[in-house]
Amino acid sequence: MATINGCNLPEDLYYFIEKHIWAKPMDGKVVRIGMTTVAGKLSGGKLNAVTVKRKKIGEEMPKGKSVATVESSKYVGPVPAPITGVLVNANDKLDNDPNLAISDPYGEGWIAEFEASKWDEEKADLLTGPDGLEKYKAKLEADNISCD
Amino acid sequence: MDEDKVMVIMTSGPDTPRRCATPFFMATLAAAMDYEVSMFFTIDGTLLLKKGLAETIYPKKGGKSVGEFLQEAMEAGVKMTACTASMELHDLTQEDLIDDVKMVGGASMWQMAEDCKTVLSF
Repeated sequence: MATINGCNLPEDLYYFIEKHIWAKPMDGKVVRIGMTTVAGKLSGGKLNAVTVKRKKIGEEMPKGKSVATVESSKYVGPVPAPITGVLVNANDKLDNDPNLAISDPYGEGWIAEFEASKWDEEKADLLTGPDGLEKYKAKLEADNISCD
Repeated sequence: MDEDKVMVIMTSGPDTPRRCATPFFMATLAAAMDYEVSMFFTIDGTLLLKKGLAETIYPKKGGKSVGEFLQEAMEAGVKMTACTASMELHDLTQEDLIDDVKMVGGASMWQMAEDCKTVLSF
């Protein structure tokens, strides 16, 4: 577990740092995604809704397409897919407690799961491990973002 | 009809601040859902596009100004269009409005609406 500019960012996750999204390979081809603590900070700290596009479950979504939206009193924005894949699951717990997505972002607050279409190819575009976090740190500093 | 297009019609203006946040919020949200979003301003809604005015209107005391809601919508890619007849109603010209607003007639509104999957009116 690494802490960068006060933001908790586990080293074993794969990050889409432009949009502050994490991805984690699960069993088989399944990849789970969620928001980073950085996204939680930027959203203002209290989410009113996290809405996954459930109508798209079973369909392939290209990398970069909006898979969900987050709403807070300060922010509204998309959760773009960090990889290409078939949307297979949405986290039902967020329906009753959307704030889980930022209060427990790497655990109970995951947002959706994909069956990755080309994980081996696309994971190269995501940042991971100590080297990846160094780059994430550079971005946070360039954008003047701190979770403290 | 295009499955990915939606439109928000805005008729409320500076006299009713509390009615002036949600339409922008909904438009920004639709853009975040990857819809192609247009807002059509008519009646008093058009006044919100007047340079510097939206920044002075607060739907909630201590909250964000309408100007901030408008800015977020534009940054999300929402296209702003103003009804020419409502500009006449308020004695406005294109120069009075913020940049990137397209002026269209009423018939264009109908054509835009026909192209949209959903039209939301405030």
